Amino acid sequence: MKLGTVIGRVTLSRSNDLLKGGRFLVVSPFSREQYAKGLEKGAGMGKDPSLVVYDNLGAGVGHVIGYEEGREAAQPFEVYPPIDAINAALVDKMFYSPFEG
Amino acid sequence: MQLARVEGNIVATRKHPSLDAWRLVICQPLSTSGTPEGVPIIAIDSHGAGMHQQVIISSDGLAARKAVGVDKSPVRWLVVGIVDEHEPGIRV
Repeated sequence: MKLGTVIGRVTLSRSNDLLKGGRFLVVSPFSREQYAKGLEKGAGMGKDPSLVVYDNLGAGVGHVIGYEEGREAAQPFEVYPPIDAINAALVDKMFYSPFEG
Repeated sequence: MQLARVEGNIVATRKHPSLDAWRLVICQPLSTSGTPEGVPIIAIDSHGAGMHQQVIISSDGLAARKAVGVDKSPVRWLVVGIVDEHEPGIRV
């Protein structure tokens, strides 16, 4: 899992049949610096390009989520849809202390 | 598999049911010299890895699904071991 901030949503009027009814979030992945900042101050955006994440937990804009990338993203479904990132957790709290030296 | 250091953990109430009761640790991948490399990764942990301990994490989704016991889980990263030493006789 990786962490990211939800910065938007996408809707599709024409899509692959297996994606019908899905919610899609635009997510900005956390950089190492953002982990150190914590969740309280408003995580903002990292430098890495944003990605689209399938969502069935109901995350909204501004939430921090944990998303799973790769083949495993399609694993929860009976018929594997063509997705490569899925929202696996809505992050409530984070404890982070970078190792110094 | 990757060498990483445990730098924290996360708490999530709403999550995939397969992750219930699992410890989710933040792992910072390390280079061979021990410096941080890339962005942190969150892995499930059954070994009770402590803060700032070095661990090996694996991206084997099949093994992770077997660990949680749910075939329909999206879980991918898991802590497979805790590092004792890089060179014989020199503990980290």
